[in-house]
Amino acid sequence: MTGIPRYSPVTFKSRVHTSEIRDNWKIVLDYQDEGPGPWLVDLSHKPRWDLQDSRIDNPSSSGLAVPSRPGDCLLKKNRLINRLNRTQAVIWHMGIEEMRLPEFKGFTDVTESTVFLALLGPDVFHVAEKLTALDLMNPARTAPFLLQGPLCHVPCQIVVLERHADMSGGYLLACSRGYADSMVQAVLLGGQEFGLRPAGETRFANWVQNLSNK
Amino acid sequence: MNRLDKLPTLRIDTHETRSLKYRGKSYQGFAGDTVATALYANGIRVFARSLKYHRPRGLYSLDGESSNTCMEVDGVPNVRTENTLLKNGMVVKAQNVKGSADYDVMAFMDKLDWMMPAGFYYKTLHKPAAVWPAAMKAIRKAAGVGTISAEYKVKGCYDEIFLTAEVCVIGGGAAGMMAALAAAESGVRVILLESRPFLGGNWDYRTRVYKEGKALFTRSRELAGQVENTHNIRVFKHASMVGAYNNNLITAFQVGKSSDAFTERYIEIRAKSVVVATGCIERPLIFENNERPGVMQVACAHRLARSYGLLPGKEAVFSVGHDLGLEAALDLFDLGIKIPCVADIREDGHDADLLKELARRNVPVLKGWVAAKAHGCKQVSRVTLATLDGTVKRQMPCDLLVASAGHTPVNGPLILAQGKMAYDDHSGYFLPKKLPDKMFSAGWMTGRSHPQAIEASGRLAGLKALASIGAGDGIAVSNAEKAAATMPGPVRGCKLVTAPVKGRKSFICFDEDTTIKNIKQAIDMGFDVPELIKRFTSAGTGPGQGGIPGHNLPLFVSKYTASVAKPMPTTVRPPLVPTLLATYAGAHHHMFKRTPLHASQKKEGGIFRNIGVWQRARYFSKDFDCKDEILNVRNNVGMLDSSSLGKFRIFGPDALNALQRLYVSDMSTIKEGRIKYSAMCNDDGCVMDDGVVVKLGDNDYYITTSSGRAGNTVEWFRFHTRYDGWEYHMVNLTDAMGVINISGPNARKVLTKVVDTDVSNEAFPFAGYREFTIKNTIPVRAMRLGFVGELSFELHVPSSYMQSVWDMLMAAGAEFNIQNFGLEAQNVLRMEKGHIILGQESEQRTNLLDLGLGFLWDRKKTTAKTVGAVALRQAENDPGRLKLVGIRMQDDTRAPRDGALIVDTRVRGYVATARKSFSTHEAVGMALVESQLSKPGSTLEIYEDECNEKRLHARVVPMPFYDPDGQRMKM
Repeated sequence: MTGIPRYSPVTFKSRVHTSEIRDNWKIVLDYQDEGPGPWLVDLSHKPRWDLQDSRIDNPSSSGLAVPSRPGDCLLKKNRLINRLNRTQAVIWHMGIEEMRLPEFKGFTDVTESTVFLALLGPDVFHVAEKLTALDLMNPARTAPFLLQGPLCHVPCQIVVLERHADMSGGYLLACSRGYADSMVQAVLLGGQEFGLRPAGETRFANWVQNLSNK
Repeated sequence: MNRLDKLPTLRIDTHETRSLKYRGKSYQGFAGDTVATALYANGIRVFARSLKYHRPRGLYSLDGESSNTCMEVDGVPNVRTENTLLKNGMVVKAQNVKGSADYDVMAFMDKLDWMMPAGFYYKTLHKPAAVWPAAMKAIRKAAGVGTISAEYKVKGCYDEIFLTAEVCVIGGGAAGMMAALAAAESGVRVILLESRPFLGGNWDYRTRVYKEGKALFTRSRELAGQVENTHNIRVFKHASMVGAYNNNLITAFQVGKSSDAFTERYIEIRAKSVVVATGCIERPLIFENNERPGVMQVACAHRLARSYGLLPGKEAVFSVGHDLGLEAALDLFDLGIKIPCVADIREDGHDADLLKELARRNVPVLKGWVAAKAHGCKQVSRVTLATLDGTVKRQMPCDLLVASAGHTPVNGPLILAQGKMAYDDHSGYFLPKKLPDKMFSAGWMTGRSHPQAIEASGRLAGLKALASIGAGDGIAVSNAEKAAATMPGPVRGCKLVTAPVKGRKSFICFDEDTTIKNIKQAIDMGFDVPELIKRFTSAGTGPGQGGIPGHNLPLFVSKYTASVAKPMPTTVRPPLVPTLLATYAGAHHHMFKRTPLHASQKKEGGIFRNIGVWQRARYFSKDFDCKDEILNVRNNVGMLDSSSLGKFRIFGPDALNALQRLYVSDMSTIKEGRIKYSAMCNDDGCVMDDGVVVKLGDNDYYITTSSGRAGNTVEWFRFHTRYDGWEYHMVNLTDAMGVINISGPNARKVLTKVVDTDVSNEAFPFAGYREFTIKNTIPVRAMRLGFVGELSFELHVPSSYMQSVWDMLMAAGAEFNIQNFGLEAQNVLRMEKGHIILGQESEQRTNLLDLGLGFLWDRKKTTAKTVGAVALRQAENDPGRLKLVGIRMQDDTRAPRDGALIVDTRVRGYVATARKSFSTHEAVGMALVESQLSKPGSTLEIYEDECNEKRLHARVVPMPFYDPDGQRMKM
C-alpha cells in the first residue's frame, strides 16, 4: 500500500526544487540554489544490507563477490560492497531500482539502522579534517576504500569514492540513525566555511554515474 | 608617522591602519603590528606591573617569553600582546595595577622584598594559623596577573582540525623550511608549523649577507616562497606547537587571520616522523634591574626596527655575549640609533668582520665587560657597566639597554617527546643527547648557527625523517650528511649568567618576580636541585612557561652549588604555549542520538533530558511528578516512545549456545510466539543487562537490551565466547526499529483500530510475540509486556515508519483521549510494580540474587557455562550482601530523594527510587540495604543531604506496591 509516508532521519532547511515519492520515501531530487559545492546529500532511503557469514569469501554462499581484505570496497553497477571484517560486509545500493533482500540467511536489511550521507565536490576532504582524525587522504589506499572509526566521536563507516590532491572528491558516510540530526548539524557547521550546502539525489546520481564511467 | 617605512624587511603594511583603545585614548598602528608594537610605537613603555613587587614592566622579547606584556584585551586577561596581532577596535587595559601601569599605588611593594624571601608563602604565614585565611586573602588581592569576570563569555569561533602527515616540521625558520622542502621532494605529505604569522625565523629581519651578496632575509623569503608553492607542504602560520605525545602525535593551535573562519583552532597532527627546528631564544643577562622598561633582548630591538619599522630608542648601550648582538648593534646604528658602546662579555671569539665594521663606525666594543645595573625609575636612563670581576665600573646614559647573555635552543618539543637533553660545554646549550624515535632536530637545535650549516642541517633532518618511514633515499641522506659535515660547527658559547652583583633586584624569572637572591636563599635552605628550587621559588612556573629562566636557572644552580655534575634543564609540560581553554574545546559538537519521534514529541510539549547517548522526553508537562501522565496510563491509555531500547538479531548455528552462555535462563525453552525475559551477568554474578528474547526461526533470535548497554552488547557477546570458535552473527538493529509502548486499560481498543490482526487476549496473550502489518504495509514486531503494570503492547516498527504509526495510533486513540507519557511517568509506574531499572536499582556490587531476580537463573543448564553462575552459587549463602527491598515512608506525604542514605550509626544502604505513588496514595520506593535490614517490617532511618540531622523513617514492605497479582497487565 502506498500513501503511508516514510521519513528520513535527515531534514534540511533548504527549499526543495523537485522531489518524488519512491517506496513511500519522499526523495528530494534537487534543492533550489545548491551552490557551487561542496554538497551534502541525504541517501538514507538507499537500501543497505548487512552480510555476515563465515564463508563470506565464497561467492557461491551469498551470491556476492565480496572484496577479500577488510577495508576494501567494490563499486559495480551502482552497488558498493564494503568488506568490514573477517566475516562481515555491508552492501550499499546507490541506484534507484527497488532491491529485494536475498533469501540467504546471512543478509539483514539495515537500511533503517543508519543515516547515510554523501559529501562531494570541492574541499570535501577539508571538511572531513575538521570532523575526524581518520586519514581519508592516506596515499597508501586507493579509492574506493572503507574506513571505520569516529567522526565527531560517533562510530562511522566512511567510504572514499573519489579524491584529488586539491582535497576535492567525494565520500559516503554511514552512522547510527539516531545521530542523524547531530551529525548533519556537525557536518554542515564544519563545511560552512567552504560553502557546503545540501543537494538532492540527482547530483549524487550524476557523480556516481561519472565515477562508474571512469 | 614614526616608522621606518621603506625597509625591505618590514612585516607591517603602512597603508593599512589599525586602531586600539588604551586608557581611554585611541592609538594607531598598522596591519601586521602586534598590540605590543602598536603601543610601543605610540610611546607606551610600561605595559604592566609585576606579580609580587608591582615593578614596571615593558617590551623585552617580542615572542611572549614572559608576562611583561600580558594585558587585558577585549575583556580577556593575560593576553600576550607581543604575539597578538592588532585588530581594529581592540580595547586594551593594563593588569595587576592599582591606578595605571605608569602610576601604580602598589608600587611600594617593591621596597618590601625583604619581607618576602624564597618560600615565604610556605613558611611565614603558618603561625599563628588563625592569621592565614586573612593573610592569604590580602596577598592574593595584592598579587597576581589578570582577572576575568565570572560573567565573561568567550567570543569568537573556535575550531579544530585533525591532520595526518608523513613528516611534520615544527618551526618555519630556514632549517625548518629546508627540512620541509627536502621531505616534500619524495611527494609525501608534509606539514610545517610556524608560531609567528610569517615564515623566516631569525633570518626574516637580518640583513647580513647569506651568500654572494644576498641578504639573509632575502634568502628566507625565497625559501618561504618555495615552501608555500610546494603542493604537498601544508603551512600553518601563527600556529604554535603545544604538545607531543606517543606515536608522534603533535598538538598545536593556530590563531586565525581576519579572513579565516576561526578565531583560534586546535590542531592535532598524526605524523609518521617529526623534525624539530624550533631555533633559539635568547638567554637573558642577569644584572640589577635587568627587567626595567628600556632593557630588551637583542632580537627584540632588532625586530622592532626591521620588522615593525620602529627605532626602539635613541641612544642604546649593548651588553651582549654573542655575535648576533654585534650584528644588531651594527644594523641599528646604520638605521639611526646612537650607540655609545657595546659591552661584550667575551674576551675573544668575536666575528672579526663585525668588530671591524663597528670600529669603522666608531662604536667602541668593551671586551670582558657587562651591564651591572640599569638605572631609571620607569624607564632606563643610564647603565652601569662593569668588568666581569666587578673591579672596574663605568656609567653611561642611554634610553635603551640591549642585553643578552647568549642563546638557548627551544628544546621544549623534544623534552615533551621524552628526548634526552645534555649540557654541551662548548656551545653552552642543552642539546639533544638521544632523540625520540622518528624525531629529528635541525638548525640551532643542533648547536650550529652559520647560515649554510643551518640549511644543511635542515635538509639532512628532512631526508632522515623520510628515511625513517621508509620513504627516503639512503644515498640522499648520505650525501646530505657529508654536506652537513663540511659546514662550520657550533660556535663557543658565552657561559656567564649574572653580572658581578648581589642579586637583590636581579631577576631570573620575570613572571614570578624571582631574583638571584631568592635562588641563593633556596639553595642555602638546602634545595640543591633545579626542579625543587623551581617549585620552592616559583621560578619558571608563570605564563612564560620558563622562557626566561629555563636555561639560566640550572646554570646558576650548578655554579652556585659548585656542582661537578652537568646542569640539566628543568621539565616542561604541555601546553608549551598558553592558549584559551576554548581553543582546546574546539568546535565541541553536541552529538546525541534522537529517536524518530524526537521532533513531534518536542512539538507535543516533551521536556527532554540527556540520558546516556540519547535525548529523551522525560516529562510532558511542568508537573515533574507527572500525576496526570501516570493516572492516564493507570485508568485510560498512554503512549511512550521507547525507541532507545537495544535491539539485536543474533543468528547462526551457534546462536543458541551464545544465548545460553550470556543469559542466566535456559534459552532453549523459548517457544515461538512467546517472549522470554532474562538477564545477563558478569563473572561476579552482578547483573549487567536484562531484556527479552524472541525466537524468529531456527537459530535466529531477536533480543532487546537496556538502552544504556546497547552500545556494548555485541562486544559483550564476543568477549564471553572468544575461546569457543562458535559461529554466530549479531546485527545491531537498535536504530533500525523504533518502539512504541501503548499502555493502559484502553490500549487494546486503540490498537485494534490500526493493525491488520487480532490482538485480543486470546489471540495475543500476555508474554506473547506476534508479527503483523499495519495497513498491509508496515511490518511490526509486537510484544505483550507489563513493565508499567498495565495492559501493554510494545510495537517494534521500522524507524522510517515510526512517525506514521505514532500518528495513526494517536488518531485512533483520540476518542479515548490518548496521551503521551514520558520517562519519569514510566519510572514511577514500573516502581509501583516493583520492576527494576538496571543502574537505578542495581550497581556494580549487586548480583542477580540481591535484586530478587534469582528466579531467572536456571541452575541446571549444562549446554554452556553461564557467565556469572559460579559467583552466583557462592553468593547464594552469603549473608553479608545488599538486598533490594520495598520501602514505605512513615510520612506518606514525603518520599526521600533518590540516592538518600539509609543509616543508623553507619551507612547501611541507600534509596534507589522513591516517589509518592498516585496509584496507592503512599510514599513508596525501592532501596538497597544490608541483608540484616531486609526483613519485612524492619525500620529504616534515611539521611538526606542538607537534612540538618532530621532523619526520615520508613519500613520494609513487600513488593509490588500495585496490583500484586499482576491481573491488570494480563487483561
